[in-house]
Amino acid sequence: MTTPLVVFDRVEKRFENFVAVKPTSFEIAAGEFLAIMGPSGCGKTTTLRMLAGLEAPTAGEIRFEGRVMNNVKPHERDMPLVWQSLALFPFLNARENVEFGLKMRGVDSATRKKKALEWLDRLGIGQFAERNVAKLSGGQRQRVALARSLVTEPKILLLDEPLSALDAHLVIRMQSVLTKLQKELGITFVYVTHSQSEAFAMADRVVIMSHGEIAQIGKAKDIYRAPSDKFVAEFVGRNNIFEGKVLKSTPANTVVATPLGAFSVPTGTKGTFKADDPLSFVVAADLVQISAQRPSEDNIVECQVISEQFMGTTVTLFLEAKDGSELKVQVGQRELEGIDFKGSKKLFASWPVSRAHVLARQ
Amino acid sequence: MPLLIWQVLFFVVPLGFMFVMSFWLVKDYRMTPAFALDNWLKILTWGIFWRAYGYTLALATAAMALASLFAFPASYTLAFKASDAARRWALFFLIIPFFTSYLVRVYAWQVVLAGNGIISAILGFVGLGPLSLLNTPIGTLVGYLTLTFPLVLILQTISLSSIDKNLIEAAHNLGCGPLRTIFAVIIPAAKVGLIVAALFCFILSFGDFVSPYYLGGSKPPTLSIMIIDSTKSGQQWPRAAVIAVMMIISLLTVAFASVTAAYRRRG
Amino acid sequence: MNAEKALKWALFAYVALAFAFIFTPVIWSFIFSFNSDRFPSLPLGSFSLKWYETVLSRPEILQAAVTSLTVAICTSLLATFIGFCTAYTDFRYHFMFKQAYLALAMLPPTIPLIIMALAMLSWLAQIGLSGQVISIIISHTVLAAPFAMAVIRLRLNDMDPNLEAASWNLGASEWRAMREVVIPFAMPSIIAALCLTAAVSFDEFAVAWFVSGLNKTIPVVILEILQGNVDPQINAIGTFVFIISIALIVTAQMLMLSKGGKKEATQ
Repeated sequence: MTTPLVVFDRVEKRFENFVAVKPTSFEIAAGEFLAIMGPSGCGKTTTLRMLAGLEAPTAGEIRFEGRVMNNVKPHERDMPLVWQSLALFPFLNARENVEFGLKMRGVDSATRKKKALEWLDRLGIGQFAERNVAKLSGGQRQRVALARSLVTEPKILLLDEPLSALDAHLVIRMQSVLTKLQKELGITFVYVTHSQSEAFAMADRVVIMSHGEIAQIGKAKDIYRAPSDKFVAEFVGRNNIFEGKVLKSTPANTVVATPLGAFSVPTGTKGTFKADDPLSFVVAADLVQISAQRPSEDNIVECQVISEQFMGTTVTLFLEAKDGSELKVQVGQRELEGIDFKGSKKLFASWPVSRAHVLARQ
Repeated sequence: MPLLIWQVLFFVVPLGFMFVMSFWLVKDYRMTPAFALDNWLKILTWGIFWRAYGYTLALATAAMALASLFAFPASYTLAFKASDAARRWALFFLIIPFFTSYLVRVYAWQVVLAGNGIISAILGFVGLGPLSLLNTPIGTLVGYLTLTFPLVLILQTISLSSIDKNLIEAAHNLGCGPLRTIFAVIIPAAKVGLIVAALFCFILSFGDFVSPYYLGGSKPPTLSIMIIDSTKSGQQWPRAAVIAVMMIISLLTVAFASVTAAYRRRG
Repeated sequence: MNAEKALKWALFAYVALAFAFIFTPVIWSFIFSFNSDRFPSLPLGSFSLKWYETVLSRPEILQAAVTSLTVAICTSLLATFIGFCTAYTDFRYHFMFKQAYLALAMLPPTIPLIIMALAMLSWLAQIGLSGQVISIIISHTVLAAPFAMAVIRLRLNDMDPNLEAASWNLGASEWRAMREVVIPFAMPSIIAALCLTAAVSFDEFAVAWFVSGLNKTIPVVILEILQGNVDPQINAIGTFVFIISIALIVTAQMLMLSKGGKKEATQ
């Protein structure tokens, strides 16, 4: 890995008595697509605004290409932001909106116009160049906002929940537009969102924030398969979380006593656990099998179906175990053939030991 | 912040200075800075002042009550019975009077109300006249209403039309008759707007000098006419200032009372 | 059903009556400005332009018209500037005593004009600024600035607060953002405020009467005619004033409406 493009070095942001971002450090590599994700109020937008210079960090340093940015005015940075509200200038038409950044940099009007039209064409809305932005559809406005930010050919593009106002089908289309653009331009995208599907679909790496700190940072797949704590496991969703106490631990396996019974989990590389210590682990919903007969796995939960949710080719079953706790299982439609899950029939949920993941932070 | 300086220099300071001036003395038609209670004593023990005070208060209260009562059916109609477009046009037309000279309108009433004017002719026709309403308290009230009625109508219409229509439907749905809905739902819901409208009416009437002078014949004078008389002819600026301060105190009291009433039981 | 219909008609008839009350003096003065009689009464005399001729032949009235226009133009520029700054400060910044600051900014229209007149006269006399054209301009600016502030503030309400930040983000300095984003966005309301404040100044007579000295404005001339030898030239002047004011108001209204139209399109 070469020198990072952006470095957050123990950056903190406080508003009077409220800590929006606790001292936070992370790096953003040149050319990567980084998503910052979290529930509302977790500090993700504040983090982005600090990068754009719209909020000043209370402590710590933000470096861009090695240069400390703390005292650089927003208009002296070239870090265009795509706003959640888009913030298109309503008194300018689409082309004039795109030209705005160039105009501020003193580019002559002929060049400005040429570049603006190029970008509008590139994003497929060249025919609307002279139209009032109020008269464009949501998707078209989105593209104007993108063109406006990219026309100055920045090294980094910041996006603050840009797709949250769009209809579901447009979101999917814009996601592919964004990933394609990012690959073609080779510039860094920092993308703030509360939607895990957007983040996981597009980003190379995902930062998950909670209460002003980073809960986990890593590749989408790693976060999904190996959440670091209960918050991430719940936030990512589709996880079954088990909490219990260590019964016995060997270098290979550890047995955990939970209200639902004892389960074996992989011990991992950090050494064995002390007996009686609390231990939580998760099993992703799509890694759990379901069967009508008692299977031969180590980890089995007896349960019955309380509801089911069909989503295309997969089904999510919500199961209730005998102590009343709930389990989620995601299976393909075909796997359910031959299993009578209606009524109060008894079923068996099971998973191999290796599928369980012990949370790093308890 | 230069605006702050402007507002202070030409709004706060003049009012403050007026207050200070109410303690100055007038000697040989010249004001001399002093701290004397002479003016206050003179005014506050002067029977004519208190009569004028009572008269002004009564007239302004009457104007407030009449304007609110007369305007309500009209604003009710505009808010609930008229179409949106009709209401917009009505509001637009109601703004026009503010930009025709009030003086000219008062002059027009002078002609209408005079002994040889239309009203007198009509009253004569039904056997009550000829009767001049000019130089009577009724004349003054007509003038006050000329000034305030459009404003009250506008404010009432706006506050009534901003009531959630579901509230009224809910009342009907719960078995509340149309007339009872007005008293039980509409008036409480629009209380703040209605009170603000009435308050503006009171403030404008209380301070107006044109109607009582040209339509009411300034007999007895109102407070505003006393201010003019003491300023323009008598060179008694400090006394005028005392009257003005008394007026401001009265207005603040009324304004405070009505705002309290408007927001009572609203947490 | 029929009773309901009858009630509806009665209510609309009442609205018509209310409007008749409001517009009687306006129309009356307009009609009588073309009536030949010295003392207007029914039936009407013959159509005549003589009152307009009288008005136009009096140099002091033309002089007053010039003063009025000068005052109105200066006032509208000053008051709109102050109003814009106040509105923007309110929109952009949060600070201690902001409520007090806004109350100060919005208070002047609630003080009776006669009291403002006395206060301005005594203060301006004290600092040696009374009896000049500039004294009227200062006073009118104080009175009109809140209206400008209100109009512009309403417009800024519709502005996405990110718009300004977006322009900084795209490389505009604070001043540049003001010039390229805030002012263009507020432009319709700025022009509306210019018209509105000019109209307010053009109609105001009480304060102008007190502080103007020899530099009379048109409404002051009307007031003085009313005090002396009343004749229908008042109606003629009133019609002129009305036409100018209405032109200003219609311009303002149209700009506000076109703004409204744009807003609807965005939604």
